[in-house]
Amino acid sequence: MKKVWIFLSSMRFAIILLGVLAAACAAGSFITQGQSLEWYASVYSKRTAALIVALRLDDVYHSWWFLLMALFLCGNLLACSVVRLPRVLRLTRSAADPEALLAGPATVTREGVADPEALFLAMRMPKPKRAQVSGREALVSAQNRAGYWGAWICHLGILLLILGFGLGQMTHREWVAYGVPGRTCQVGDTDYLLTIDDFRVDLRADDTVEQYTADITVRSTLTGEARSARISVNAPAELFGYKYYQNSTGWAARVTVEKDGETLQDEVLCAGEYLRVTDLPDLAVYFNAFYPDYVLLEGRGPATASGSLNNPGYLYSLYYQENLVGMNALLAGEEIKVDGYVIRFSEPRNYTVIQVKRDRFAPLALAGGLVTTLGLLLALYVQPRAVWAVRDDAGKWTVSGLSPKGGVLFAERFAEAAGDVEKQTT
Amino acid sequence: MLQTENALFTIVMVLYFAAMILYFLFIAVKKDRLATAAAAVQTAGLVLHTAALVCRGIGAGRLPLTNQYEFATSFAWGLCLVSLVFIWRFKFPMLGAFAAPVIFLVIGYAAMQSREVRELMPALRSNWLGFHVSTAIISYGAFGVSFVLSIIFLLRGSMRDQGFWDKHVPSREKLDLISYRSVSLGLLFLTFTIVTGAIWAERAWGSYWSWDPKETWSLVTWIVYAVYLHLRLRRGWRGQAAAWFAVVGFVCVMFTYVGVNTFLPGIHSYA
Repeated sequence: MKKVWIFLSSMRFAIILLGVLAAACAAGSFITQGQSLEWYASVYSKRTAALIVALRLDDVYHSWWFLLMALFLCGNLLACSVVRLPRVLRLTRSAADPEALLAGPATVTREGVADPEALFLAMRMPKPKRAQVSGREALVSAQNRAGYWGAWICHLGILLLILGFGLGQMTHREWVAYGVPGRTCQVGDTDYLLTIDDFRVDLRADDTVEQYTADITVRSTLTGEARSARISVNAPAELFGYKYYQNSTGWAARVTVEKDGETLQDEVLCAGEYLRVTDLPDLAVYFNAFYPDYVLLEGRGPATASGSLNNPGYLYSLYYQENLVGMNALLAGEEIKVDGYVIRFSEPRNYTVIQVKRDRFAPLALAGGLVTTLGLLLALYVQPRAVWAVRDDAGKWTVSGLSPKGGVLFAERFAEAAGDVEKQTT
Repeated sequence: MLQTENALFTIVMVLYFAAMILYFLFIAVKKDRLATAAAAVQTAGLVLHTAALVCRGIGAGRLPLTNQYEFATSFAWGLCLVSLVFIWRFKFPMLGAFAAPVIFLVIGYAAMQSREVRELMPALRSNWLGFHVSTAIISYGAFGVSFVLSIIFLLRGSMRDQGFWDKHVPSREKLDLISYRSVSLGLLFLTFTIVTGAIWAERAWGSYWSWDPKETWSLVTWIVYAVYLHLRLRRGWRGQAAAWFAVVGFVCVMFTYVGVNTFLPGIHSYA
């Protein structure tokens, strides 16, 4: 059991996990995610498709084995942090302890130094403290002890990050609402109603989109309280604990159904929506797409020449008893006539797509990211160093330096500083 | 302004090429003055490169960090900056001789991209753009320098004139440590890139992590360098093994940058 614990909390296990996770991530980026067995069979071979689905490579990031590895990584990080905490505490304490420093290893040592305090100064160390170690006079200076905490804090941050992300994935709630100004819809299965008060697309002179902006009102069906906000891309709003994002946009149009000169239906239909004729439910019209500046390109089908409403074209499909019976594009002034019914498309306008989301654990993931960054900063850029000097019987000093991460660069700097001090002394 | 940027960009390419040739001559002729001249030309190139980026920024009316050309030229700038800092910090002009071809390749790649200035789509109109992309540039530059240092490390023992190389290239131990410093800088800034990107994505797309290929490969790169640091710090995996690992890491960086854009389209496809 002890051996299992040692392995599960070991760095070797962490490296294996990281390696497999990296390979899994790479595989997930190459294999299109979330497709059907038939789709994979059409792209690869049947056997490969079966293998992809069996190994859950079609949904790598939500597969049981990926989540299990992430769980193992959390366990490893936790165990590693628990195991290493006493060592980090000991290192932090002993980093400035004269007895521990004198008894331990040094990165570099110089004997016969006449003016050790000048060397401390040249090494930009804090003012040294005097101490007596085994009856000998000693000077000790240590700095950047926070650096010992870097890796530990970084691991803690990654742990928080994975926890925040995992819990967020399990508990987050998300819906999409869409419509033209004036439309009200329920926000998922919540007790809130979302009304789109206004929506506009700001265009530049060259017809490119500068910004999408929607004014929305959210009303609680329980209390009747209403709150309004303006949202645009990169500027979501939080109302009643849910975040509202201006997600995307599309085209909608007014669709009328007439019979014998009488208007039977008059609705706003968004592209991608059906309209069933209430008088004759077997008949339905589907609004496939809208082209503001309709052109028919040879070999490519319908397209738009620009973003401006120069030649509106409505692509529709007609269904009778759920069977496709026709498909065409309607231009301005044209109409569909079927069984005495006249269907017209007009007044094209943009509709907005609003994403509604609540992820209570996103702040935890953010905190994890920031703590990881802080940990890395400490681990990589705050290098613990200690310099100490011991006076021998002849009154000369032996000065030593320790920099666990500085290595040869610290030794070089120490030698340079010692050389400079010696020159000044002589 | 954009015409000035075009002219400056051409001059910068010429200067980087000249610096590369001077560095090569330094190795061939073994005259120290040539290394000094090469570093000076490279520095001049960096100054004009900075001016070119400023001109593009003014001409475009935004930070020049939003399309393939702008990122590539900024990547070359970051690589040049980090290499010059390391040359100066570690008194190591030979680094320039190996960094210059990489810089020239990257700026050459930039030259092949469209230089057209396009207006930003709404998702890119954010203050986070500057933080996210500029940290990526420093990160990629630092990883590029660690790659160059690792190549020097791997070639260090097989050079014919050992006297010349001993004089101009630090010991393998020191090279290894400098490479580690460079990876540290790169990893720290890659972490900044990922964190700032996540914060921005949460505001723009409503999701701080979407497993988009660019995000995924940034994570893969982060993991590769994190493993490098672990192996190096805890298991004493230094020297040759660490150098090869840094080379593999830079392959991941380049795939994240060029490979993902070419083969794996996603929500970062404009980058």
